[in-house]
Amino acid sequence: MESELGSENDMVSLDPLAERLADGDPSAPRELVERHHAELHRYARGLLRDAPAAEDAVQEAFERAFAALGRYPEERIKTLSLRPWLYRITLNVVRNVWRNSHREMSVAEPPEPDERFAAVSGPASGADREAWMDTLEALGRLSERQRVAVSLRYLEDLPYAGISEVTGWPENTCKTLVHRGIGRLSVLLSDKSDEKGGS
Amino acid sequence: MHDNESRRLSEERNEEHVAGLLREAAPRLRTRGDPDESVERMLARGTDRLFSCDSPLGEVYVGVSERGVRLVGKAASPEGFARRYKERFGRILSWGTDEKTYRLAERIAAALAGEKLEVSADLSGTTPFQRRVLEVVKGIPRGEVRPYAWVAREAGSPKASRAVGTVMANNPVPLLVPCHRVVRNDGTTGSYAFGAEEKVGLLEGEGVPVGELAGSPYVATPTTGIFCHATCRNARRTKPENRRRFRSAEAATDAGYRPCKVCRPVVAG
Repeated sequence: MESELGSENDMVSLDPLAERLADGDPSAPRELVERHHAELHRYARGLLRDAPAAEDAVQEAFERAFAALGRYPEERIKTLSLRPWLYRITLNVVRNVWRNSHREMSVAEPPEPDERFAAVSGPASGADREAWMDTLEALGRLSERQRVAVSLRYLEDLPYAGISEVTGWPENTCKTLVHRGIGRLSVLLSDKSDEKGGS
Repeated sequence: MHDNESRRLSEERNEEHVAGLLREAAPRLRTRGDPDESVERMLARGTDRLFSCDSPLGEVYVGVSERGVRLVGKAASPEGFARRYKERFGRILSWGTDEKTYRLAERIAAALAGEKLEVSADLSGTTPFQRRVLEVVKGIPRGEVRPYAWVAREAGSPKASRAVGTVMANNPVPLLVPCHRVVRNDGTTGSYAFGAEEKVGLLEGEGVPVGELAGSPYVATPTTGIFCHATCRNARRTKPENRRRFRSAEAATDAGYRPCKVCRPVVAG
């Protein structure tokens, strides 16, 4: 109703958690964080490439979300689609980070290899770890819109309708962005393996 | 043609491969460190915290910001309290499940029970006048009462008795700022946000002789020539046979007494 981005389905069945947030249930804020912070972190991680930066971004996203809940009237909170709403806030925070870091350094600069992956990669074999890390690294070299679309499609596993809801971009634009983004990634990665002498 | 076809197929294969790698990356992109801790951090930064505790008024809800206690009150449900809090301060409340809130809750419970403890209040939503009034009231000791006119004078606005009444009625942190110790100028207890009877009960619980004060809120001592608020520690030390009771400060000065320098009764004119 109030948001052109919300699909009709969201309007038919309200999210019980949104209703509880609107009602002032003091357990609801914790549930909101517990329910969404892992996926938002993954999303921010795909967009930012640096784990501490992603954690900061998610932290700030929740801070903004809670501040907004403090201002919004009950009726508006009740009809919020929490998940896309949080994704939108996270993207806004990430855009700020991008804007600030563009001032500090050139984007074209190849990223430092990220040691921190080692800590969370689990028992995967060395070769596997390389491959997905390289992919993630390459993701950071796509255009911002492609990066958003590809992250939502493959890290978050959202359907195109969901990507469109979260970004506000038309569904066909999302498809194109994902397709081109993946194509570019595959080129970037094959260049990389050529450098290493092929795979 | 055949070349184009095979190139397209190999492109598709490559893209499937890339998508597969991203899917593989997804579950590995977890937050490091204790997840509970990071949830707690987000709640601490984004929300104000809520807990309930026992008080002389029964169970009360307490809402705290990072700076201190912002709202103390009774409500039919925590949701009701949280809605009131949000309306007043534009912040949402979550249960205070962190160590910092636990410690604060203990201190506040003790302070509410009458222990002399400094608990920081967050009065950031109030006007400078309201803050001055609340500061003055905070200084009224347990077992003593002061009239509205006295609070107004001490807060630097001697004509603002009525406005003091309004500040008391809207006191965000009752008990911590003991607005129940502010009484009418004639010594009767007057109204209270939680009900006039609760006010009497609280004061009696603190040892204030409520009945005696009504109509004669001042006590003078002939041997010293000084008059006090009847609950001033100096007045309470006076031997019963030496007490002269007055219904107003003017009556006491007319009888030749001068105001006590500790409790500073207000003399009109």
